[in-house]
Amino acid sequence: MEQITTSLVARPAPKSAVSGSGGDVTGSVTKRLSNELMTLMMSSSPGISAFPKSDANLFEWVGTIEGAVGTYYGGMSFKIAIHFPPNYPYVPPVIKFESPCFHPNVDIGSGAICLDILQDKWSAVYSVQTILLSLQSLLGEPNNASPLNTDASNLWEVSRM
Amino acid sequence: MQMRSHGFPCFVVEIIMAASEALRNQVAAKWQDSFNRLNRTGVGISGLMEFSKAWAVAAEFLRPRDLGAPPKDFNTHEIRSAFDVLMQCRMLPMLLESFVACLDMSICQRICGRNQHLITDDVTRFMTEYDASGDPDVIGRLVLRLADWYFAWAPGGELGQTISSAYIVNFQTHVFSVLPAAFAAGFKRLLAATLALFTEGATPGVPASVQDSRLWPSFELLGLADRYESLIASVCYEHIETHVLETCAGKWDEPMLSRLREWMAEKVVPWMLLPYARGAKTAEEARTMLQGVGSRFDFHVCKTLCDLRTKEMFDIVIDYPDSTHALHDLKECLQRVDQRTQLVRALRKSNKKRLLHPGADTKDILTQYVSLIRCLRVIDPPGVLLFKVADPIRRYLRDRPDTIRCIVASLVVDGESGDSLVDDDEPIQPLQSAQVDDYTDPNWEPEPIDAGPDFRANKPSDVVSTLVSIYDSKDLFVKELQVLLAQRLLAVTDGNYEKERRNLEILKIRFGEAPLQVCEVMLKDMTDSKRIDQHVQSQSSSVMHPTIISRHFWPKFQSSKIQMPGQLHEIQEAYAREFMTFKPDKKLRWLSHLGSIRLEIELQDRTVGADVPPLEAAFIELFSEQDVWTLNDLIARVGTVERSAALKALLAWVDRGVLREETEDVDMQRFRLLERVPEDAGAGPVGITTAGSRTALAEEEPAVLTVQQQQAEQMKVYWKFIEGMLTNLGGLPIDRIQTMLKFAQGYDRTVDQLGAFMDAARREGLVSVKDGIWRLNR
Repeated sequence: MEQITTSLVARPAPKSAVSGSGGDVTGSVTKRLSNELMTLMMSSSPGISAFPKSDANLFEWVGTIEGAVGTYYGGMSFKIAIHFPPNYPYVPPVIKFESPCFHPNVDIGSGAICLDILQDKWSAVYSVQTILLSLQSLLGEPNNASPLNTDASNLWEVSRM
Repeated sequence: MQMRSHGFPCFVVEIIMAASEALRNQVAAKWQDSFNRLNRTGVGISGLMEFSKAWAVAAEFLRPRDLGAPPKDFNTHEIRSAFDVLMQCRMLPMLLESFVACLDMSICQRICGRNQHLITDDVTRFMTEYDASGDPDVIGRLVLRLADWYFAWAPGGELGQTISSAYIVNFQTHVFSVLPAAFAAGFKRLLAATLALFTEGATPGVPASVQDSRLWPSFELLGLADRYESLIASVCYEHIETHVLETCAGKWDEPMLSRLREWMAEKVVPWMLLPYARGAKTAEEARTMLQGVGSRFDFHVCKTLCDLRTKEMFDIVIDYPDSTHALHDLKECLQRVDQRTQLVRALRKSNKKRLLHPGADTKDILTQYVSLIRCLRVIDPPGVLLFKVADPIRRYLRDRPDTIRCIVASLVVDGESGDSLVDDDEPIQPLQSAQVDDYTDPNWEPEPIDAGPDFRANKPSDVVSTLVSIYDSKDLFVKELQVLLAQRLLAVTDGNYEKERRNLEILKIRFGEAPLQVCEVMLKDMTDSKRIDQHVQSQSSSVMHPTIISRHFWPKFQSSKIQMPGQLHEIQEAYAREFMTFKPDKKLRWLSHLGSIRLEIELQDRTVGADVPPLEAAFIELFSEQDVWTLNDLIARVGTVERSAALKALLAWVDRGVLREETEDVDMQRFRLLERVPEDAGAGPVGITTAGSRTALAEEEPAVLTVQQQQAEQMKVYWKFIEGMLTNLGGLPIDRIQTMLKFAQGYDRTVDQLGAFMDAARREGLVSVKDGIWRLNR
């Protein structure tokens, strides 16, 4: 028994889309990022989390990924750094492991990650949450076709035998 | 001088040996001179003889004697001539000396013939009696007896001022020296008895000596009045205190101060005339003499009354307005006695002890606070006292979760229930807020001298403004008003919203139009939905009469997602279709769990009618599909319902005798529809359980979320953010958490509120804090 009385709701005045230059773009990115943050916070997916580093800059985030139970990484927790470029979400965010991670697709020195959706397969419909979930599953199921850490890749192959 | 010449001769003899001729001549002249003075013009030593006789007569006349002894017969003429002789010889002072010495011996314990220490004996006797009985009468008799002694021994006035005053001093000195310490206490009781005689009138029990008119002159004679002046005053003070406590304690409905003053004038002043206006010749003179002491006693009356009222203040406030007279008394007393700080301290203390504790109802605290406002405004119109006393109450109320609800509930006058905080007589006026001083105002006055630093002279003066000003913003009140209004509007079933309309108009005057616009919309929704319903009914009549409300303007409702089954759902659908044609740009979203449904259930052998909540209707509708359902299946059909709520709804049908519970085990509860009344069903238990279910229904939660619940709901969101930041950023100080929370949309809490929330989280073991850094517990 509820009715949305649109006539009574003060509608935001339609924005003048004429002079929407650089400042407006940043504003929309910020809006997108804060929306993503909200969604992420409310989603309560177990084992993944991320938050802006400081209240001044919404483009630098810190994330936490816990290895899924039953994988080699179960019980471990990894910190990652997430950097959003100014033209996000049209380009993927730059993500690195801060904690050392011995994994076929992670460079143990730099923490760089080899994940298709973070490179050529990126799409604007992905969000921080989907990235984090992909990373979490990547921990359990490495893509040995394109290893960054060959030692880890070899070990993985051996263990699979 | 005389004394020295008396002993001169033998002194001279020694010196003569070595003295010069001139000295010898001088001494001889002195000797001759003395002799001549005593002998006067007598022949030979006849003058000397005469003097000696006169001395003997006078000394015998003056010698103190026992009161019991027969008075000696004196020849007045003879005595007078004897005194004349002595006077001529300038030997009167000598006589006085000897008289005084003799007096000493009579009074004190020195040996002087038969009549030694006559008075001492008497005093000891009386005091022993007093010690045994404690009767002030004994002291009275003692005083009278002493006066008798005084008169018996007093030298006649004709002997001149010197002798009589020397006599008085000596007599008094010696009497005081023999009076034991216990006399003071006895004397005090005697005085109290005389005062009681004046104030309470002559009663049979009053001892004779107290009523004796000679008593006060005797005090005066013996110098007791001067010596025990402080005692006399303290007797009066004590009497005043007892009287005030006796007559005024707990008596708040009459003006007591004026009555006390009358009592003073009628009863105490006549007594005061005795000690304080003795020797006054005229009434005018007496009045001047009484002035000083009279105002002292008046002050004491005020002080005692003030002390008493200060002690009783809390109860006086409770009794307001019946205790108005007591307040006026107190006001007058406070002007005379500076006890404002005591009053504040006493009130704060009793408030803390009796009011500001978890056992007290918020409503009671508010009522008391409002009474306090009114009471202290009587005593102290500028409001300094109120400000000092009210501060802890306001701070306490601010911490109470239901304060706003209570205030708002009392603002929305019910009409029938008369326990509203606000007087109906009080004119409804807009909320006032504190203003800055207007120094151009010609009637400007500085703040009262004992005002605290935060004191504001032009603080809001009406009760509602004061209550609302407990909180910094009135937004909270408006929100709470909204919730209350929502509850009340939904509770109205007869379509008569006049009362709510009236309340809203009154509140608009207080809070202004703008903040209450939302409430206005809510009220409009109610009338609109009636109109819409009429229209829809005219198109295709429906058994349903929904209330259509605007989501954005109503407080959040208890969320529940019941799906109405069967024909109930069809009715909803039909109505929604009709509504869509009437208002194509709007969509109905059903809050199926609210409202009530009148049902008539036709069973094989009977028809059951009932007004039931939607959930019960939904369940019984399902039983038209099949006769037996398990609880879990039923819940699955209607959507998300709490198990306990579902069970309650089903048990309500069991109580009505429509269903029967067939329990095999707790998890698989099954219910069967009773198409026929089973033979074994007794009437008794059914009746009882029905009553039970009714009360259960009455306790159902209100449909609208309270402001608190809404806040708690929001806080859940913020908690997610806090959790997120603490997970990723490690430990954070509270300030950082506060600034980071700006990422959460609509976050508007203060650091203090956040701190309280974090503390609560810590108590639940979710976080821990060390050196001001908060961390998640893992």
